[in-house]
Amino acid sequence: MSETSTSQDLSFFYRFLARCMQYPDPQWMNEDFFQAFFNLVDTLGATSEGQEIQNILTQSPDPIEALQIEYTRLFINGAPHVVAPPYASVYMDKSLQGAFALKTLSFYRAKGFVMEKDADLPDHLIHELEFLSLLVQENDLAGEEEFLTTLFRPWYKQFCPRVGKETRHPYYRMVVNLIDFFTTEEKKDGFQCNEA
Amino acid sequence: MAFNVTRRKFLQTASLAAVSIPLSKVVCAETGVTKASLEPKGTMNDTTVVGGLCEMCFWRCQMVGKVRDGQLIKLEGNPKSIDNGTSICARGNAGIKLLYDVDRLKYPLKNVGKRGEPVWKRISWQEALDECGSKLKAVVDQHGPQGICVFPHGASAKYPMHYFERTVGTHNVSEASFFQCRGVRDTAYMASINEAPEEYVDMANAKVIFLVGCHFGENIHVSHTKNYIKGLQNGAKLIVADPRYSASAAKSDIWVQIKPGTDTAYLLAIMNYLVQNKKYNQEFVTNHTAGFDKFSQSIAEWTLDKAAKECEIPAAQIKEVADLLAANAPNVTIHPGRFSSWYGNDFQRGRALACLTALLGAYYVKGGWLPPKKPKLSKTSWAAEEHGNEHNLNYHNNKMHHPYAPPGTPTELIRDCAISGKPYPIKGCVVWGQNPMQTIPNQEKMKQVFKAMDFVMCVDVMPTDVTMWADILLPESSYLERYDEIKVGATYVKADDKEPTQYIAPRYPMVEPQFERKDQVYITNEIAKRMGHEKDIPVQSLEELVNKTLEASKTTLASIKAEGGIHLQPGKPAGAVPEDFMVQLFSDEIADAGFPGAPTYIPVENVPAGHARLLFGRAPVHSFSRTQNNIWLHHAMPVNPVWLNDTVAAKLGLKEGDSVGFINSEGVKSRTTTIVKVTPGIRKDCVYMYHGYGMVNPMLSICGGKGVDEQSLITKIAIDPESGVHGMRNNFVKLTKDGKTLDMPA
Repeated sequence: MSETSTSQDLSFFYRFLARCMQYPDPQWMNEDFFQAFFNLVDTLGATSEGQEIQNILTQSPDPIEALQIEYTRLFINGAPHVVAPPYASVYMDKSLQGAFALKTLSFYRAKGFVMEKDADLPDHLIHELEFLSLLVQENDLAGEEEFLTTLFRPWYKQFCPRVGKETRHPYYRMVVNLIDFFTTEEKKDGFQCNEA
Repeated sequence: MAFNVTRRKFLQTASLAAVSIPLSKVVCAETGVTKASLEPKGTMNDTTVVGGLCEMCFWRCQMVGKVRDGQLIKLEGNPKSIDNGTSICARGNAGIKLLYDVDRLKYPLKNVGKRGEPVWKRISWQEALDECGSKLKAVVDQHGPQGICVFPHGASAKYPMHYFERTVGTHNVSEASFFQCRGVRDTAYMASINEAPEEYVDMANAKVIFLVGCHFGENIHVSHTKNYIKGLQNGAKLIVADPRYSASAAKSDIWVQIKPGTDTAYLLAIMNYLVQNKKYNQEFVTNHTAGFDKFSQSIAEWTLDKAAKECEIPAAQIKEVADLLAANAPNVTIHPGRFSSWYGNDFQRGRALACLTALLGAYYVKGGWLPPKKPKLSKTSWAAEEHGNEHNLNYHNNKMHHPYAPPGTPTELIRDCAISGKPYPIKGCVVWGQNPMQTIPNQEKMKQVFKAMDFVMCVDVMPTDVTMWADILLPESSYLERYDEIKVGATYVKADDKEPTQYIAPRYPMVEPQFERKDQVYITNEIAKRMGHEKDIPVQSLEELVNKTLEASKTTLASIKAEGGIHLQPGKPAGAVPEDFMVQLFSDEIADAGFPGAPTYIPVENVPAGHARLLFGRAPVHSFSRTQNNIWLHHAMPVNPVWLNDTVAAKLGLKEGDSVGFINSEGVKSRTTTIVKVTPGIRKDCVYMYHGYGMVNPMLSICGGKGVDEQSLITKIAIDPESGVHGMRNNFVKLTKDGKTLDMPA
């Protein structure tokens, strides 16, 4: 398999993970989406966890609303407290839009990318995944690695376990683990630094 | 969770496309990050934005902001300001941390749980506005406009408040700034001098500054504090009456450690002494006061000895203060104060301050009460409509319950009506920028109000405690993200020997609002459309509102921005006493309304055995509960220690830094604990805390549960009879430690 086609595939994975982190909406969170999602989960060998998610979605009278409520609680405003704001600066600067967000934006710029006017903050998880997708699409694997090492993993390794521990819905546990999987480069002996 | 393959191996699998291609069909077509031309490295896009108007408190200092890449990184005083100048306070600096507070409300939320125990779901603005509009309209259709009550606070709440009051037609509006703060001061002065006093005192040129309970240095309004400090630098004598050795008391020449609640007795004794000894300004009294004889007779009983006994201070000290004031009159500042909702006898206290100023002839003079001549603005808002008094609770049964009430309806009348359903049901509640859980006494009663509602909506920037009671919670753009309030003012020619100057400073956004935060004009107009009032909408945007308000001054937002965010123009010298200016020493109108015509001391309940009176006030780095979650300010003052007299502490076996809780005389316990500050600087019968701490809402990740919420211990409700304003210092507490209740020693 060529390096270019792998990059193209990896680009799709990043874009798909960004999609998974968007606020649930039936317009996109439909049968096709879940089919692709469970296909990926199965391929990675997490069939039983995938089945658990399917069971919960099936049993819920309004599965999308249940995910919306959980998304709000985890990532927006929740009671007792928002669990894990999906912004790097929250973990690195203890603030929204701190210096770390500016560093992230500078990295985007250095690679020739800018934020759209209506976009969220540059250090939002979704935008970082989009950026990774665009980088690998350009086959800039060195840039991908630098971004992951210096700007993504330092905060994501705090974010991921927080969601994994606190979430009440297995879908989000799976999503953050998938992101963890695709953003963690294994050592040369074949083992990942942070085993999923 | 373990996947049975490593990333590398997975990406090397031959069938990778079989997984990735289905994914590619469900991804979002657009991205927030997009390709652009390379920018030169090192470009930070730094800009200075003018036109900031602070609202970390309500003094509204003028600012500029340093913006880098769309991010506000620093706030400073606007160099063009002739008000606060280049100075802003700790709170002003920390506005950035409100702007970027992680816990700030970002999207409209719907409560799919219970009121008070919310489960939030993000919804669209369309859905949120439809729900607010339809639910409020249903209340009006079923119960009439009086079925809606409104709790507004702050600059952004004025436009929606006018909508509900003027267009919808409910009288049931209770502003915290009036009914739990300064309203009683304003109406007492209105009844005495026919205008609200604001804080128009020329302290910079005063020979004596007399503060009765004001604690400047802890309560900081920048230009006012500068004015005060300038006065002290110029040699003004400072007299501070306060049960506590406040920041002002620490700078005083005379500290009057007065018994709480007895200020009026103290002021009456000073005035009686001045009258009896003919040390008052006879010319001013002859030309500009009414009812001197009745007034003199009414206060004659207040001898120095009688007041000394009542106020628990030396008679000689009362005389010393009176003599000092008389010797330096008329250039003396009798400060009218600001927050005055203290004991439920505060209208009379305000009257006494106004009358003392008159006896000293200290109106319209250098160093005295000296209102600046401000530039005029147009009035733009919802058109005023007459709605009669049939459903005005303050006029119920053809009786004026509180004839000297500030604008709106006294809070307690609204709450009683909402809970009892009498004389009519109140079923819809709009909370806009106010946190009634921590501004209005008796939190359980406030909860009952919310439980009685069919619908509750809240608009705020932060998830304050009251937002837990909302059905729909709307995120508002902050003062740094919107056009808004216009501050106007003027310098006194007498104060600085410069030509008098007026200024006009509208609020400009420093940065664009983030997420889905919206301003008050958008939200109100959208609700108005859904309630059938589209034709009444006065403006389409906040920008239009401000420009229309500026019309009378012949300026515009664009022209003022070009001038650096502040328009300066020649002012007028603060003038001599207007010929028709009259001070009602004895007011026949007040007497006819059934209240004392001359200032009168009404004693408050004494401290019951084993208890201490709970006093509270402002922290220098906080504005009540509004700023508690600000991380910079929180670090500066994370808890509110309880001030405890050192002798009392020794008897209780408490030392500095001990952790204590509280139980009040009605059995209500504090939810949290705080630490003890042991000091000789407070009377033995009082404890004191800074206000606004100990918030409940766990959505506030920084301040939630830190310090003690003294408001939760204020359960006994006192109502000032003339104004209907709350008195909040008639509550008594014992300390608790390690599960034991400690009786306060006599």
